[in-house]
Amino acid sequence: MISPVKTWRRQKETRKLLGKRGKILASTTIFIAGMNFKKNTPYPVVLVEFSDKKKAFGQLVDFEEKHLKIGQSVVAVLRKVRDSSDESIIAYGVKFRPA
Amino acid sequence: MNPTLVGYYTTKFGELWERSLFDLVNETITEVLSTTKLEKDQIDAIFFANMMAGVLENNLHSSAKISEMLGVNIPIFRIESACASGGFAFHLAKNYIESKAGKTVMVIGAEKMNDYSPEEVTSALVTAASGEEQEAGLTFPGLYAMMTQVYLDKYHATEEELAYVSYKNHFHGSLNDKAHFRKPISIQEILKSPYIATPLKMLDCSPISDGAAAVIVTNDQTIIKKSTHRVNILATEVATDSISLKSRKMLDELESTKIASNKAFRTSRLKRSDIDIAELHDCFSIAEILAMEDIGFWKKGQGAHFMKDLTTMYGNGGDLLVNTSGGLKAAGHPVGATGIKQIGEIFLQLTNQATNRQARKAKYGLAHNVGGSGGTAAVTILGV
Repeated sequence: MISPVKTWRRQKETRKLLGKRGKILASTTIFIAGMNFKKNTPYPVVLVEFSDKKKAFGQLVDFEEKHLKIGQSVVAVLRKVRDSSDESIIAYGVKFRPA
Repeated sequence: MNPTLVGYYTTKFGELWERSLFDLVNETITEVLSTTKLEKDQIDAIFFANMMAGVLENNLHSSAKISEMLGVNIPIFRIESACASGGFAFHLAKNYIESKAGKTVMVIGAEKMNDYSPEEVTSALVTAASGEEQEAGLTFPGLYAMMTQVYLDKYHATEEELAYVSYKNHFHGSLNDKAHFRKPISIQEILKSPYIATPLKMLDCSPISDGAAAVIVTNDQTIIKKSTHRVNILATEVATDSISLKSRKMLDELESTKIASNKAFRTSRLKRSDIDIAELHDCFSIAEILAMEDIGFWKKGQGAHFMKDLTTMYGNGGDLLVNTSGGLKAAGHPVGATGIKQIGEIFLQLTNQATNRQARKAKYGLAHNVGGSGGTAAVTILGV
């Protein structure tokens, strides 16, 4: 379950990733999703490795089909990652766009 | 005496609309006691493998529920290790006997999944992934799809080669009257099925199933001597790894499988070539190929190419048959029950009870059960 506190705690970490550049290690396009993401299908998710070798998962946005490949350069951007909860916290997180 | 497997029962796997989770548990308890001619007061403890009753049904504290159903006050433990719950429960049960806490134990695995929509089940399953993976909208097909993409790219393998896993396992499922799917499927049907998470298609993926399975393990000499069928537990080993796929050393192998199987072969003092029959965790087509390689039956990177030869399919004369139950793909994947059904299928094969899919002269069998994207793995080796 999502709670405002959990979102707040996680956002302190995700902000450190903003603007970081990296390369796609793996990608997939999700056609069947869980409840929170059903209305967004199909959507691509990528695993990114930054130059400091740290890795992160996120959805790819502002992309064209040709960007969905291993080795594509991407940059981490701030995006809403899911619908707000009943307690009206807007869940911001990291997504990636081609760089 | 060493802990010995003396009985097995499984319900049919599938969409069991008439039955609740505990209807299925009750059936397995009644039937496994009946097949082994044991009374409930001969059972010293029960290990119950289940992943999702808490998340889906708001239903925890199953130890007390089983106590009430069975009318006993013995120790009952619930074990959760995602899709490897069954393999982990079996490991604990054997060690429980060896620690002399009890002589005869029942290990039950059960899951009820079809009461809920695919989206609800997908969300419940993904609780076994990291918070970051969940937040990114990943699913288990999605995580295995990423491993598939990396594997296909690195080893120049194809989606068509992967399709042979489902083709083989559906053929095996057609021979198993307890399987969820009893219909053979063609390579073309697999390749034309819609994408769930690219490059994995619907017919690369195991289904959402209901089902329950149970085994009896004992070191009671009297019970072993009276038993109609018995199988030795040569090794049961478990291993863990990071919950997040991004923290793994490699994306095209499961370290937990490698560690658990290496330990199991060391403990059993067997070689890979000694194994006649194996039930491997084919939650997705890529998973059976990774398992063949990570356990050491096939060389890394060659599994997809080898798969096309179908040497592990029943009736093709190979030295190793894989997933004669139909695997998770065709027998079905009620997650808590899967690890027990795998051990049960090996039991049936080693005791000549596998009817129309019976392997010839099978002496040693291996069951391989994985949790999540590889954060947990259990490998059990049985022999006669």
